[in-house]
Amino acid sequence: MPTVALEHVSKAYDKKIAVDDLSLQIEPGTMFGLLGPNGAGKTSSIRMMIGITVPDSGSVMLLGKPFDRKNLERVGYMPEERGLYKKMKILDQLVLMGELHGVDAKTAAQRAHRWCERMQIREALPKKTEELSKGMQQKIQFISTVLHEPELIIMDEPFSGLDPVNATLLQDIRLELRAAGRAILFSTHRMDQVEKLCDQICLIDHGRAVLSGGVRELKSRYPRNHVVVEFEGSDAFLCNDMVEEARNFSGHAQLKLKEGADAQALLHQAAAGAKIYKFDLKEPSLEEIFIQTVGGRVDA
Amino acid sequence: MRNVWLIARREYLERIRSKAFVITTVLVPLVIAALVTVIIISSKSEAAGKHIAIASNDQAFAQAVQARMMHGKNKSQMRVDVYAPSTEEDKTRLEADLQQKKIEGILTLAVKAGTVQPVTKYESRDAADFVTTGIREDAVDRATTERELAGRGMSVTEVDTLLKNVHIETLQNKNGKVQKSSAAGTFWTAYLMAFLLSFSSVMYGMNVGRSVIEEKTSRIFEVMLATVRPEEMMAGKLIGVGAVGMTQLLIWIVGAALLLVSPIAVKAISGGLSIPISGLQVFLFCIYFLLGYLFNSVLSAALAASVSTEQELNQYWPVNVIPIWLSFGMLSYIITNPNSWISVAVSLFPATAPIVMFLRMGAQMPPAWQIIASVLLLVISIYFMIWIASRIYRVGILMYGKRATLPEIVRWLRYS
Repeated sequence: MPTVALEHVSKAYDKKIAVDDLSLQIEPGTMFGLLGPNGAGKTSSIRMMIGITVPDSGSVMLLGKPFDRKNLERVGYMPEERGLYKKMKILDQLVLMGELHGVDAKTAAQRAHRWCERMQIREALPKKTEELSKGMQQKIQFISTVLHEPELIIMDEPFSGLDPVNATLLQDIRLELRAAGRAILFSTHRMDQVEKLCDQICLIDHGRAVLSGGVRELKSRYPRNHVVVEFEGSDAFLCNDMVEEARNFSGHAQLKLKEGADAQALLHQAAAGAKIYKFDLKEPSLEEIFIQTVGGRVDA
Repeated sequence: MRNVWLIARREYLERIRSKAFVITTVLVPLVIAALVTVIIISSKSEAAGKHIAIASNDQAFAQAVQARMMHGKNKSQMRVDVYAPSTEEDKTRLEADLQQKKIEGILTLAVKAGTVQPVTKYESRDAADFVTTGIREDAVDRATTERELAGRGMSVTEVDTLLKNVHIETLQNKNGKVQKSSAAGTFWTAYLMAFLLSFSSVMYGMNVGRSVIEEKTSRIFEVMLATVRPEEMMAGKLIGVGAVGMTQLLIWIVGAALLLVSPIAVKAISGGLSIPISGLQVFLFCIYFLLGYLFNSVLSAALAASVSTEQELNQYWPVNVIPIWLSFGMLSYIITNPNSWISVAVSLFPATAPIVMFLRMGAQMPPAWQIIASVLLLVISIYFMIWIASRIYRVGILMYGKRATLPEIVRWLRYS
């Protein structure tokens, strides 16, 4: 039973079609990447999943049932633009968000303490939002999203504004949440993160799904035509007919092979003139697939 | 309903705990009290400390004018010197004193035998020394009349009795019952209540607008709307901010009541101004505050949802404030013609009803049917406005970047 499912959903504002016949499913215990250029319809799709707007046609299934606002208590949403009351104390704010999601005040306060300790920001609890750094505010926003232990967690551009240490901390927590059976939806441009974290993706452009499925399966659809070579000696093999594109950084080269090229033959030719330390045949990155699919329309 | 309560509680507690609430709760009554005190003190002793000289050829008359000026009904606390019968030397010296700012003015009284009115002249340094004009004229008039009546054989006591001010007792006939009333007291009480009504309902209505803008600019709506309906957010906000307004009014009313029954106040206003306020007026005040507040706040919430910044919202404030200007602008007409069709119409029109109804009460209690009709019209118009506002709100709070145009707002009404 998918945690959330959009079936042939469309939404238009005046004459602009924001989402066009979009279908997708997110299963429990998966991380799902919703990708697309700005204005592709990512936020419009998310807003329909959580009932902020209603689709013009199609249906939204949430937690196995047709959309019902009652089930929103089991959803956590972290929008792209962080939304916290500037002058409200953090503990009060977290308790309020918990209560709005059906958690009683006492439990919400206990969880707020526990989470702040885990995120190493216990000192923030008695402070007001405006007294905190951006990174701290982001952590608080994350806590308010997961405090009520939602089954579906939606995060719009969750990777901005965090230093590497905190980004790793959040990443670990997300992996724990996934292991605990929660469905996590990312809406982002950050392909490197999506590639590492997500099990499934859906790439949308002009409101339509142009690519969707498991990350491994999608990547396997594209030929392994990227090669990284580390070598010492002649670089003549870079000018071979099989090579479409090559970048040489004195002993470290990145190559793109032509369609149907034989990588083994190239390796032999290279080994004839140089000492080869590494010859790595790679599949294309998600970023390359993304750019290739949306035809360079990316303004990320 | 639980969400409405949670949002209302947040709005209420955050506002009650804020410095702004404490400051306005304490400061507004203090500023009003300070203004009233300054006005009373300055009107009572506007001539205090003034020093003038009377030069006359008739000592008795000059002294009578002096006594009247210094200790008459105005109790002006002026310093008045008399030079009578005055000589040319006196006049020259007084002119010099005036030039050297030792005195503020010279009142010359020339009494001629056989004529009733003295020839008077007042010379001062300031071109517009109007402050003491009333006191001077009153003193000279009174002294002239006393002198004339005494000259015709009346005793001092008889003259005093004759010239005593006549007091007309003011009574009001309420449904056949005649009772004592204070016209000024009734008017000022109603005026004060109308002022408080307009001030508080508009101020808190604007607060709702500001709160909507704050949530819109900080994108809190995005988070809240993932679990709360826009209607619940608006209702919670209206209830929370309205409750803050009621709390503040209650603090002021209880504070004022405690002050009025305190021994100092009882002494200060004994025999002076009475506070003719009935239970019905207090009840109506609460009803009109609530309705006036709802009217303004729903309007503000809708306007705030259709713009993106507080600056843009400020351009809309006249929409809330113009009905108040109109109401108070018609003050003198309403007081003198409380039952004319114009006064009745304005007191039924929802935007002006709360204030104008209280101004009418200052002159005469309007008929019950008119009060009921104005309340009903307000309720209907608030219901209608909530219907429109919740639709503008629902779409507007998620629109960023620019102020919505009228055709856009009409389209939003159709979306939902």
